Amino acid sequence: MKTRRDFFSSVANGLHGAALAGLLGRDLYANSVFDLKPKAAHAPAKAKAVIQLFMNGGPSQVDLFDPKPTLTRLAGTAPSRELSFAISNGDKPGVLMPSPFQFKKAGKSGMDISDALPHLAECVDDIALIRSMYGEHANHEPALFLMHSGRTIASRPAIGAWVAYGLGTENQNLPAYVVLDDPKGLPINGISNWQSAWLPPIYQGTRFRTEGPPVLNLQPREEIPTPLVEAERDLLRKLDSAHQKQRPYQPELDARISSYELAARMQLAASDALDVMKESEATREAYGLNDPATASYGKRCLMARRLVERGVRYVQLYIENQIFDSHGNLEASLRYACGKTDKPVAALLKDLKQRGLLDSTLVAWGGEFGRLPISQGGTGKAAGRDHGPNGFSVWMAGAGMKGGTVHGATDEIGFKSVENRVSVHDFHATILHQLGLNYRDLVYERHGLKERLTDQFPARVVTEVLA
Amino acid sequence: MRLLLGLVSLVAFGAPTFETDVLPIFKAKCLACHGAGTPQGKLDLRTSEGVLQGGASGASVEPGAAAKSLLMDKVVTGQMPPGKVKMTAGEMDQVRAWIDKGLQAPMKVAAVSEHEVRGIIQARCVTCHGGLKQMGGLDLRTVESRLKGGKSGPALVPGKPDESLLLKRIVSGEMPPDKMAKELAVELPTDGETEKIRAWIASGAPGAVPVTATPDAVVTAKDRQFWSLQPPVRPTVPGGAKHPIDAFLLQKLKGKGLGYSARADRLALLRRAHLDLTGIPPTPAEVDAYLKDTSPGAYSKLVDRLLASPRYGERWGQHWLDLAGYADSEGFGQDDGVRRYAWRYRDYVIRSLNADKPYSLFLTEQLAGDEMSDDWKKAKGVASPEMLDRLAATGFLRTTPDPTNSAERGLLGERMNIVADEVEVLSSSVMGLTMGCARCHNHKYDPIPQRDYYRLSAILQGAYDPYEWKTPNKRELDLALESERREVAEWNAPLEAEQAKLKEALKKATAPFREQADAKISDRDLAKKFPELVEITRPIERDLQAVRQKMKQKPHVRVLMDNEQPSQAYLLRRGDPVGFADPVEPVTPLLLEHPALAPYKIEKPFDGTSGRRLALAKWMTQPNHPLTSRVMVNQLWMWHFGRGIVASVSNFGRSGVLPSHPELLDWMATEFVASGWSMKQMHRMMMTSEAYQQSSAVDESLTAKDPENVLLSRMPMRRMDAETLYDSLLTAAGRLDTTAFGPPTDVDIREDKEVTVKATKEGLRRSIYVLRRRQTPVSLMDAFDQPSMTPNCTERRQSNVATQALHLMNGSMAWELSKFMAGRVIDEADGDRAREVALVYLRAYGRRPNVAEAKLGLETIAAFREKWPARLEKDNSEAPRAANAKWLAVANYCHAILNSAEFSFID
Repeated sequence: MKTRRDFFSSVANGLHGAALAGLLGRDLYANSVFDLKPKAAHAPAKAKAVIQLFMNGGPSQVDLFDPKPTLTRLAGTAPSRELSFAISNGDKPGVLMPSPFQFKKAGKSGMDISDALPHLAECVDDIALIRSMYGEHANHEPALFLMHSGRTIASRPAIGAWVAYGLGTENQNLPAYVVLDDPKGLPINGISNWQSAWLPPIYQGTRFRTEGPPVLNLQPREEIPTPLVEAERDLLRKLDSAHQKQRPYQPELDARISSYELAARMQLAASDALDVMKESEATREAYGLNDPATASYGKRCLMARRLVERGVRYVQLYIENQIFDSHGNLEASLRYACGKTDKPVAALLKDLKQRGLLDSTLVAWGGEFGRLPISQGGTGKAAGRDHGPNGFSVWMAGAGMKGGTVHGATDEIGFKSVENRVSVHDFHATILHQLGLNYRDLVYERHGLKERLTDQFPARVVTEVLA
Repeated sequence: MRLLLGLVSLVAFGAPTFETDVLPIFKAKCLACHGAGTPQGKLDLRTSEGVLQGGASGASVEPGAAAKSLLMDKVVTGQMPPGKVKMTAGEMDQVRAWIDKGLQAPMKVAAVSEHEVRGIIQARCVTCHGGLKQMGGLDLRTVESRLKGGKSGPALVPGKPDESLLLKRIVSGEMPPDKMAKELAVELPTDGETEKIRAWIASGAPGAVPVTATPDAVVTAKDRQFWSLQPPVRPTVPGGAKHPIDAFLLQKLKGKGLGYSARADRLALLRRAHLDLTGIPPTPAEVDAYLKDTSPGAYSKLVDRLLASPRYGERWGQHWLDLAGYADSEGFGQDDGVRRYAWRYRDYVIRSLNADKPYSLFLTEQLAGDEMSDDWKKAKGVASPEMLDRLAATGFLRTTPDPTNSAERGLLGERMNIVADEVEVLSSSVMGLTMGCARCHNHKYDPIPQRDYYRLSAILQGAYDPYEWKTPNKRELDLALESERREVAEWNAPLEAEQAKLKEALKKATAPFREQADAKISDRDLAKKFPELVEITRPIERDLQAVRQKMKQKPHVRVLMDNEQPSQAYLLRRGDPVGFADPVEPVTPLLLEHPALAPYKIEKPFDGTSGRRLALAKWMTQPNHPLTSRVMVNQLWMWHFGRGIVASVSNFGRSGVLPSHPELLDWMATEFVASGWSMKQMHRMMMTSEAYQQSSAVDESLTAKDPENVLLSRMPMRRMDAETLYDSLLTAAGRLDTTAFGPPTDVDIREDKEVTVKATKEGLRRSIYVLRRRQTPVSLMDAFDQPSMTPNCTERRQSNVATQALHLMNGSMAWELSKFMAGRVIDEADGDRAREVALVYLRAYGRRPNVAEAKLGLETIAAFREKWPARLEKDNSEAPRAANAKWLAVANYCHAILNSAEFSFID
């Protein structure tokens, strides 16, 4: 919780400084002013920015990060009642199904990694893998809400909004919290994934579209010729400044005028930040921009780097609808999903590292849940896996993460997280911690309640994955 | 056991012990409250057994896992000990080490009560074996009905768990049946729950002990003396002012050496009053009429005229819908399904406000419209307008997201969340209490024990029975106005005839094939057998589908109504849906017991309903209720003056803000009740005060002496809220379609994902009649801080961000409206250029331009005009080029004016 003193130190040098200076010591309950100016963290921070690579659909842990020889041994046997009950409504539970992928030891750390992720295998010494995540719900919508906002319901602020609220942002010409969704369509839950809910709306995620103009209405209407746009702006300036002169000591009017100025600056800043053609050919090649399979996700990864470079606090990437939702054709569908993302993700890690940005940028990779060790929807190659929220893998890299670590474990068939279990709240607390924010202290007063990202749930920072 | 004990001491050797390492710390820091006598929160920390036993919030420690132990959480966060003296870091480490290394899990199984078993059965079994359904003739809700059993015999044999079908079927995995459990959103009993049922049967299946309303030690006599819990007493109005409101306000201002600011400019006041009461600016004709009326009563006539306008209910209806958390969608999942009849509640609110329905009745209908009469139970399809209004009114407690139409999203936890959201809506909007935190633990600031939360929640659980749950689809009644039914019937009649014809054709086409097969064969199997049949039937099926799509659905109404016999409600440990602690009965918070107040008392109004909500309404609308009138006048005050007398409008508790003018608040609260709970009377009262008619101008000395304007030394300058801005843009442009009521207007999602509103034949309808889908808020209003209902909004927040400028400068809506406005202005001015500028000012600002402004306007339009033609040559427009350039030049001018601060700010 920011104290009132912190609050004033954050606004005092800002726009409202002069007008607010006289308010010190007064209660600000009713008319609080919120802004995006940089705020001090609770503790020294390892991460200045976060890039969250959201892998929609629920990547299969036993096929990517969590090898299970026992599953091979028990192949074809019937599951327990609990495991078969875990399958979705109306579907027949299949049998225990081993992974069609080969695992190899990679890097100096010798981390086991699936051959579906050859590029990431080159970066394992930079990532901290958590194999013992568990969620609360087996459906996409509630699970996505949980991963974003700490509850399975659609009514709480997203983690990015909390971070923007707690830390503000370094670049006032760009939003604090940027979302790069797939041009093919919004993820499940749509814009609710990056909502600010009851936090002030300035903290909600801003979608930057990766094709065409990045922000809705960023450019003037095509139908109005440029000289008229300028002439109109000129008139507006005259009208507003005359209006303001007659009404001194109204900080809201100052704020409004500067928001119009920022809008004009953002037209340039956002277009520049997202212009990947300003990168070298070698960089574009590394991110896979020249290959149709990786071009779309590669572009978003590269944009993410350009954004954090410019001081954006939280960047969230999504991938076309449900690409990791492998209900059928397990091997083919996972190879497709990894084929789109593996190279760009590895390129992002290497690029950040090479530019010295990885030390201050936390990269988090994961989906809304994992998958079940039993088959679903057929046999042989046609079989897939159903949603499995009881045990799954995520990884984090950069900004104080202990590279090459493997933390926690699932049971011997990869169904449930059993050792050093990490809840979604623990995961959130850890991200906040790297940003210098204490999950207990990052609070927002609402109806007399001190709300926090982890709600009332117990949480702990996963110190085992920190360097 | 001996061996076990030996093992325990072996493991514990060298590890910290309770007596030496922990007890001394607890003695110093904890035992004052958690010791001898009645320990707070039922947590007794004198022995390690007591620590393990835990308290009202459940287990206080998890052996071996200090990080996940509630006790450590409380201590580390500084919540405990409450006062100034906290545990030192060293002490914390000692306690932590003991939990991690010294403490062993207990081996004994505690006795299990019938109540706990009933909770488990409610969570896992009663969906099929309860009040609504008794599959296999079995009802498992009481000991008697379990003994009686069903078709397979008694479900319970006391003392013999292994012979009791209740347990046997669970253990064998037969019950609950996997497939049905999934379809009905029931989760399987956990091993712990099964063991509890076994233990209860083994101990002879003891019966239920009646629930007693044990007073909680948490609420003390001193707590009850807090100001907001005392019935308001009408204070004497101080002398020195004509208007009572001014008398109170001036008294405080004078105390600080201040007074009111000058009276606002007449036209500024006109615009303020219009936007405040109707949400739209005055028309040029209204401006002229007001300027002409120079009588002393002109202003109060204006207030009366605005209060009588049908636009009043649309403006203030939005304020109320904020409190209720209104939306037109279920608010979950990809498609965010539309709530088809939510609009009936919206219409009810608007109509009630326009009719100045007494607030007491307004509230009663919304809390318990279904319990006020059983006429609707006897009605067959046709409802009278009054009946329909009363039923639609219950939409107040039907606003929060409810995803339970889908079984996968309808599990017990979700249902509990819905009940919790409704409790939040109820308590934050009309009770001025923050109950939310008491869902998981006793309230930290207010004396609201967790038990009280579940008691209040139990009042709603008559209708929101989490165990025998009704999905949203089941909460609709086939009732509508005669006229609505007739309209649908008339529309559908020819379609139904066509449908019958097509069905007949389908039958005829199928008949020859059917003769060749088994007569009982299904259509699908028949089609499989004769693939050529599909070729014949497909076009008919397609036509049928088209006809069906054209048909209108039978009009319904959404209603909140009770189950006949609501399940037992429980205090849930830490809010866990299956953390059954003590059973609780429906009753209002203990904190609000007062000798002058009639207690909450349930009287069943008729069979088939519990009367819990009607009793709540009666209790809340008592004339001297300490919160009901205060909370409402405070809301009204905030909407008029920008800040509540209690600034924390949803929190009148100890963690809230004390009233800036307590006597004024109480005077108004009692006045509100004395006026017959008339809201219009309160508007009139507030708006005719001198305080309201002040200018909003400030200077250096005012900002220094009354920086936040708590004393109302001036009127606050305000930015229009999202809906006012939207409606005002439409009004200024002359695009407002004033059609009221009925299903909402749909939105358009453009290719670039900007969400706009679909136009009607007459223009664009007011914001309150636009589909309020949670996933697709109208982009313009979203940018201007229209709240997302999570679950409701008691106070609007405003931001000033660049995206707002982008929307107004570059968005399609403002530009299209500007062009429309230009057309109107040009037509009306009929070639008089100076009049064009004047009309733009009148429409947008509600005033005429001064000489300099008029000159600037004329010059700018001329300059704009010069810039257009070059471009127009490229267009294939039919219109004469010069006329087009002029129109667009005026449009640019209107666009700048609509973008200007003077338009969206209210003096």
